[in-house]
Amino acid sequence: MQASDAENAASAGTAEARLPLSGVRVVDVGTFLAGPYAASILGEFGAEILKVEHPIAGDPMRRFGVPTKRHDATLAWLSEARNRKSVTLDLRQEQGVALFLRLVAKCDVLVENFRPGTLEGWGITTERLREANPGLVVLRVSGYGQSGPYRRRPGFSHIAHAFSGLSYLAGFPGETPVVPGTSPLGDYVSGLYGAIGILIALRHKQKTGRGQVIDLGTYEAVFRILDELAPAYGLYGKVREAEGSGSYVAVPHGHFRTRDGKWVAIATTTQKMFERFCHVMERPDLLSPALYGEQAKRLAAREEVNALVTEWAASMDRDELMRRCIEGEVPVGKLNSIADIFEDEHFQARGNLTEVEAEGIGPVTVPCVVPRMSETPGRITNLGPPLGNATYEVMNGLLGLNADEIAALRKKRIL
Amino acid sequence: MEPSEAPQLPLAGIRVVDAATVIAAPFCATILGEFGADVIKVEHPVGGDPCRAFGTPTARKDTLTWLSEGRNKRSVTIDLHKAQGVQVFKDLIAKSDILCENFRPGTLEKWGVGWDVLSGINPRLIMLRITGYGQTGPYKDRPGFARIAHAVGGLSYLAGMPRGTPVTPGSTTLGDYLSGLYGCAGVLMALRYRDETGRGQYIDIGLYESVFRCSEELAPAYAMYGTVRERKGPHIEVACPYGHFQTRDGKWVAIACTTDKLFERLADAMQRPELASSSVYGEQKTRLEHRHEVNEIVRDWCGALTRAEVLKRCFESRAPAGPLNDIADIFGDRQFHARRNLVAMDEPTIGETLIVPNVVPRLSETPGSIRSLGPKLGEHTEEILGGLLGLDAAAIAELRKQRVI
Repeated sequence: MQASDAENAASAGTAEARLPLSGVRVVDVGTFLAGPYAASILGEFGAEILKVEHPIAGDPMRRFGVPTKRHDATLAWLSEARNRKSVTLDLRQEQGVALFLRLVAKCDVLVENFRPGTLEGWGITTERLREANPGLVVLRVSGYGQSGPYRRRPGFSHIAHAFSGLSYLAGFPGETPVVPGTSPLGDYVSGLYGAIGILIALRHKQKTGRGQVIDLGTYEAVFRILDELAPAYGLYGKVREAEGSGSYVAVPHGHFRTRDGKWVAIATTTQKMFERFCHVMERPDLLSPALYGEQAKRLAAREEVNALVTEWAASMDRDELMRRCIEGEVPVGKLNSIADIFEDEHFQARGNLTEVEAEGIGPVTVPCVVPRMSETPGRITNLGPPLGNATYEVMNGLLGLNADEIAALRKKRIL
Repeated sequence: MEPSEAPQLPLAGIRVVDAATVIAAPFCATILGEFGADVIKVEHPVGGDPCRAFGTPTARKDTLTWLSEGRNKRSVTIDLHKAQGVQVFKDLIAKSDILCENFRPGTLEKWGVGWDVLSGINPRLIMLRITGYGQTGPYKDRPGFARIAHAVGGLSYLAGMPRGTPVTPGSTTLGDYLSGLYGCAGVLMALRYRDETGRGQYIDIGLYESVFRCSEELAPAYAMYGTVRERKGPHIEVACPYGHFQTRDGKWVAIACTTDKLFERLADAMQRPELASSSVYGEQKTRLEHRHEVNEIVRDWCGALTRAEVLKRCFESRAPAGPLNDIADIFGDRQFHARRNLVAMDEPTIGETLIVPNVVPRLSETPGSIRSLGPKLGEHTEEILGGLLGLDAAAIAELRKQRVI
């Protein structure tokens, strides 16, 4: 199949003819988002994603979030289960496990995010997986990873944000720490790391024929992206505290309210940016070394500098402030609500929102594929599938079961 | 971290030119480097990458952010504003697989090294371009930082107390890291495609797009129902109890009951199993309708116990809870130690041992590694120009005299 695809691509010579992961088959037996998002990225770029779900309940993600008129699909499910085929299979039954191993034998990648020990409890051990398919790449995502004293604790993105040190930093000092914007952030970060791990492992497999296991704790994914939090504590004993709407690295660097009650973000990260900003505020005097001309002085006088900016921002409407900052090349952005985003001309120009038809529902607007690749752009072929929509196709076409066998398995609720 | 020789690493033999600055596109190169790619950091001869000045300075001025995220890279200085510098850069690209850049759109083109020119020199080249708003669209020329991307991408609007000032979503650099991760996934896919077809390509990412992509059902819910999600403080709209709760010792825990089963376990931990009956708060729908009462019950329970006690009871009942750690808690945590999430690296240039986050993710056959921390500016200029590009000592001296390197 791979060879003929490659030939087709070569003869057609077009970008559409071949996606970078066409010919790669992924079994996604994960739930919610952390593991599955890794599969979503691969699916957007051509991999075939078989979502293996429990025959009765399916992925709990189907019920998490804003409901739709389809009882097996929230909006979160529709958007994030994109590009999948759903296959029902009960892994708690022996025959289900046997079928699962046959399926895995025909796949390149397995994605799972059960609590460590769960798959093993069903008899699906690393050894049996390797025996079924020595080239298999397995992504295992869990709250705390496959090892260590906390490995069996339940893990959710919200807990991972807290455990990794991110949530401690979100909010005003001395006040209640808040959700860092969105609760599944850690799941997305884990999915991204998972996809990268899989792609690296696939490369190794191409060279050596050998698969491997990628072991990722959600908290690790979040902790890894907290810049110098750890080295600063390690070297100087500095415990970073919640930063409110600002940042310890630069000032002014935060969120400011304009006269019309809207918000903007301003980030004068470098000296040059601050200089430009003073000219935009028509306050070049602030640049004198006696005042705030130097970063060190600004940081020491953080409150005063922020007070000046707050007052300036409050003296005009958001559009006016944006116009002046953009003209002066100061990094500024509207603090967009989702309503603002839908109206934004840049989101429209970049095609960041796309409408896809969902079976039984109609058009649903979802975030489009990231990243944008010039030769092999990703695509969304379908949104979250109905439960078991490809069970027959996969059991018959891929595993060679006949209609009677499939019917018998259905009767036993193995499918 | 297991010691690992470069040749065994899965990306050995891949050469990456990282001509980008601060964190976003360079972070892609960092990941590739951890898994064995040879990463050459191209920097301006004066000052170098501004990342060297971003964050907390060390004895050698370069910040801790630079030392940690510049890991495994070699530094060469080249002034791309000068024609001779551009020539050296082209020679380097001819011998490389990947270029990471984040100049404002049009900058490389102005220097005569846009995509058309570079892919002409090296048709197998993969180019990662990360900017605030991407290479196209009406805002493409605006300067962008992660803070702006969080705001534009809709994340900051959701961070903070209801109707309060929107806060930084935990870290000001999230959008940079997310973009680096998306960039890395893109580069690895492009590499696979290139190995099969011989053709390179470029990858175009706006920081705000990476942030917006992680917004789950925010967009579909607005499109279908007109719902504009607002800030919810420590809570979320679709589950309860879900949030941060303070314990008697003034610390915090995170609790997340996303399903009824998980609430049942929490009720068990609280020794209030009756709360999970369907006539009380057993159903998510009921809990959401009475979110204030439910949160108050959990708040009171947490407030009466120390954090250690709350967590102990939650873990015994398998209720979904965890400590809200500061970095000091993390350094003392058994799980972080058992997983070796922190790694100590001796850094002779400052005479200190630095603790940096270890490689993520963990691969069983081909684990990544940290072989060195962020190099000094231009530390490898001679080695790269002499060794890789074959310039002789006189030519290098001349470039130095002209301040090209």
